[in-house]
Order: sequence, then structure tokens, then C-alpha cells
Amino acid sequence: MSTRPPKIMNYILLLPGLLVIAFFLVIPLLLTVVISFMQEFSFTNPIFTVENYIEFFTSPQTPTILANTFGMSLLASLVALLVGYPAAYFMTFRIKSIKTRNLIISLLLVPFLIDWNVRTIAWIPILGESGIVNYLLQYFNIVHQPVSLLFSRWTLIIIWLQSNLLFMIFPIYLALSRIDPDLINAARVLKSPPHRVFYEIIFKLSLPGVIVGLTFVFVNTLGDYITPSLWAGGIQVLGLSVANFAANFVWPYAATQSTVLILISLAVLVILFKIVDIKKLVE
Amino acid sequence: MAKVIEARKLAKRYKGAVEALREISFEVDENEFFIIMGPSGCGKSTLLRIIAGILDYDSGELYIKGEDMKNVPPHRRDVSMMLENFALFPHMTVYENIAFGLRMLGKDKDEIDREVRKMTRLLHIEGLEERMPNEISGGQRQRVALARALIIRPSVLLLDEPLSHVDYRLQRKFAEMLKEVHREIGGVFMLTTHDQEHGLSLADRMLIMNSGLVEQIGTPTEIYNDPQTLFAARFVGELNTFAGTVEEISPDAVWVKTEFGTFKARHPATENARDLVGRRVAYIVRPEHVRVSREDSGQDNRLSVYFNTYYYFGHFLELVFSADAQTRVKSVISANEPFTAKVGEQLTLTWPYTKATIVSKPSVVEGVDIEELIYGK
Repeated sequence: MSTRPPKIMNYILLLPGLLVIAFFLVIPLLLTVVISFMQEFSFTNPIFTVENYIEFFTSPQTPTILANTFGMSLLASLVALLVGYPAAYFMTFRIKSIKTRNLIISLLLVPFLIDWNVRTIAWIPILGESGIVNYLLQYFNIVHQPVSLLFSRWTLIIIWLQSNLLFMIFPIYLALSRIDPDLINAARVLKSPPHRVFYEIIFKLSLPGVIVGLTFVFVNTLGDYITPSLWAGGIQVLGLSVANFAANFVWPYAATQSTVLILISLAVLVILFKIVDIKKLVE
Repeated sequence: MAKVIEARKLAKRYKGAVEALREISFEVDENEFFIIMGPSGCGKSTLLRIIAGILDYDSGELYIKGEDMKNVPPHRRDVSMMLENFALFPHMTVYENIAFGLRMLGKDKDEIDREVRKMTRLLHIEGLEERMPNEISGGQRQRVALARALIIRPSVLLLDEPLSHVDYRLQRKFAEMLKEVHREIGGVFMLTTHDQEHGLSLADRMLIMNSGLVEQIGTPTEIYNDPQTLFAARFVGELNTFAGTVEEISPDAVWVKTEFGTFKARHPATENARDLVGRRVAYIVRPEHVRVSREDSGQDNRLSVYFNTYYYFGHFLELVFSADAQTRVKSVISANEPFTAKVGEQLTLTWPYTKATIVSKPSVVEGVDIEELIYGK
């Protein structure tokens, strides 16, 4: 065994990372909160007020925006779970060869080697009115006119699914592959039929992975306002609203919306992590 | 007596052509404490997993209480198992672990509660119910695993190396507990171990396994006194072995010529001595029958040796002598018996021919040479 470096060394190694996080994340976030309470954007002569928050929570648009924002992210997370869990399960329990498993993981990573813009535009030849899907639908006489597949909530879900699926599959795969096969055997000899082995042992022990996956997809999609603005057929989400107000230099109101977005996401995370002990995934 | 387990030519081959089981046949009677003993990797764990149904066999037949087990999933077998490493469910409390099997069988809460309480009392694990498996000691985990396997009252309880993974003192305690629990609850207990002491002391009958084959099946005394192969003889208890050739037989004795002289032995119980004349065999005698004698005691067998060293075990003393540079001969005497000798002192060892026998087969595994088995390891 090598000698452990002194404890102070650990902190010194952490320092550059901590400084970056402090300067580019923590301080800007605190500034955002401060600005959200300003009447006008001014650090030289600030007037603090809760007016922005009152306006936000009384605005007739707010319920729709919140429902869109969190609803779409939640839906995307659940769809990713429904698609990702079987995939992770298959990879863990049905593919015995490590080589094949690694190949699948590499294939899942391929989309991330492609530029975001290209990935986004690539949906047009697939889902567009003269795209592959419409062609096939007409070829098999399922529809007679090209249908609009590009601009709807489900388009958004499909595109989000494609860009987020790996973040769901990977933590679940990790959790599943850590399950001792003898726990499954023990349940089987203790008279569990297959579906109960799955629920009582496999699913329950993979919950940390499920929670991490849900968190990744939820947070990822919550912060993404460009994809919804491009593909979702004009639905309003909170991020987009923030961008609009910021673009028009209404900083305090944009900051208020940002703060609300962050607080609600934090609340969701706290609840999720209360359900499952996240340490179990990595210990 | 009714057969609870019947295995006929059970075979299993793992991918990569490792033969785990090579046509094993045996039967287990009702209420037997049946022990499968063998070195690690001999296939004993594979055999247990096949009986439990968590592993398929390639060929042969397996019957449990007369029912063919081919394609019967583990949850439809009247079998329970305590797995090696215990495999307690880490996300469940001790109570939930023990209750698991009954819950799967759809028993109601009151009955489960009653049975769990009975089990925790029987195995002395009361008060741990609300703990998690990682919050209890190794010895406690062992008993929780037993309680969990036992609570569904199976006709066959399989125990895969239940005595490993805890320290020696706990092993003995758990072994004694197992025997008492077996007497109280009954049913077939089928246990694997590589430890000869536990095997001999617990078993009603035992099966000695080697490289996926059966070396011998019998009661502990049968195997200890009348081994069929040298491997089986070596696996239970200490043994003095001399390679030799069968010279002569009489109706009650055989004479074997070894490099230390001609020794007399009784006929082997498991093979016909008449066929062995002129053959290379292993002459075997257990250390507890070998005595040190300074004067001519008129015994059948005499061997001149030098005192080498001794090991003190409290209640007995193991004396080690050298017959020549390579050959060690052991004698076990009671610690109360007076014994004094200087290292290197020349002494004479004697033993009665009725306590010595011969074995002609090194092992059921083919290609093992008897001389190699005697001198090799």
C-alpha cells in the first residue's frame, strides 16, 4: 500500500475546481438572486422590492409556463425511464460478453461526438414532411398526405429522448450490474416467481440508478429552452421566457424567473434524493 | 425408506468445456444429514445449485420426492438454500430478510410474524429484527441466512459452505447449532464443506467428490475405516501411507512389501484382495493406531524410525517420525500418555494388522498415479 498523502494536499488538489465553481457558478447564482429583488437593474443605486415575485406569481401566463416547463421535463424523464430501463436491463442480464456490452456503450456515445446543431437539424430529414418517417407512412398507405411530425410536444419528447437516453441508461446499468447474482438466486430459492424477483430485488436495488437517471434527464431538459423553442410548436417554457426578458434587458424579472426555476428544481432534487440513498450507487 | 433426492448420472458442463459434474448418481433418504465434501472446485457447489434449480443440468435425471425436476423452476421446488456468502438482501431489515420466503408464499402477516419469532428464538437472533444486514456481525448474518432459508420448512435444505466465511470458533458453534436444528425440525439437510472435521462430525452419510466425480458415498465411519480410494482416505482424517506391492494373501490378511519391510494388513472391505496380488497399492494406517514401543511388543507390524517433532493439541499429542529422508510417519496419542524422546532418537513403531488396510485405486479420476498421490504432494 502506498502512503496516503496528507489531508491538506487533498484540499489543495480540489482548490482549482472549487475556485472555478465559485467564480462561475456560485457567485453568479447569488447575484441572480440579488438582482431578482431589484426594482431596476442597478448596483450603484439599488432599490430592493418583492414586486417582481408578486408579478410573476399573479401573472395569468405563469401557471401555463410552469406546467409546460415542469410537465415536459417530467414527461421526458418518465419516457426516458420507460425506454432506458429495459435497455439497461437487457445490457446487464442478457448480454454475457463484456466486449458486446462495451460495444453497445460506445454506440450509445456516438451521437455525442456529433455537433449539437447537426444533431438537431438531422431531425428534419427524419421527421419532416418529406422525411423518412412520412415517406414510410405513405409507402405503407397508413396516411395519404404528409403529416406534420416536426412541431409538437411529442417531437420535443422524441428529440429529448435521443439526446438524454444515455444519461438514463448508464446509471441504471451501473446499479443493475452491481447487483450480486446470488441475491437473485436467493430470492428464487425462497419461492419468488420471476416477476416478484424483478420487483423485490432487481428493481428495488436499482432504484438509486433510476433516481440518478431521472435527475439527469429532468435537470438537463429543464435548462434546455432552445430545443423547445425550435421544435415544440411554440409552447412557452420558463427558460425561454427568461431568455426573452434578458434579451430585452429586463434583468430583474428574468432573474426572478431564474430564481424560481432553480428553487423548484432544487426542491425536486431534494425530494428525489430523500427517497433513495445515493451513496449506495457509488460505495 | 423413501428417497427424497435421487440423482442419476447428473452431468453439467460449463461453457469453455469445464466439466463440473461427470455423471453423478446418489440418493438421499428422509431426514438425512447429508454432507458433500471435496476440495474447492470439485463441483459440490454446482451440484447444490442444480438441486436448488438455479442452475440447469445438461444430462441425467434428478428427482425430488419422486418428481422429475427437469424444467421445474426453483420457486416450484420443495427446496430451500442457504447460499455461500449468505446473500442477505441488503435493502431489507433482518426481519424482512427472514420473512421473505413466507411473504412470497402468500402467508398472512400474523403467521409470518409468529414464524419469524419462532426462528429468531430457535437461532438466538432475537433483538436484531430491525437492523440492516450490514449492521450485524458475520456470525449473526450466518444465523439470519439460516433462519431465512429454514422458515419455509422445505423438505430439502441446501447449505452451500455455511461454515466458511466466519472464524473457527464460530464455525464449531454453528455446526453444533445446525445439528440441533436438524434434530428439532427434521427434513433433509444437504451441506457442502471442504473441512473434514465438520464433515465427519455432522454427517449421517457423506459423499466425497473430486473433479466432478464421486469418490465414495457412505457413513463417516465407513469412509474413515474402509476408504475405496486413496483420495477418499486422505480427505477424511490423518493418514500414514506406504507404497507397496501385494505379496501374499491369507483368508484374513494381506502382506504388502514396501521399501520399509513387509507389512501385514486386513483385507480391504471394498475390493477383492485376491485380484490385488502383485499389484501396486497404498498401505494405509491411521495415526491413532500407531504406537511407540521400546521393547518387542509382539505386534504384527514394526517400523524403525527417528523421532522428529511433536504437536500438542491439549487433549492429544501428534508425534512425527522419519522413516527415511522423505517419509514421515505420524502417531497420535492421548496427551495423558507419558512420552519422552530426544529429537533424532531411534524408536520402533508398531501397529496391529487389523487396523491397517490397503487401497488399490488412487482416485476415481483417471490418470492419477498411486505413487504420485503418495509421494507427490
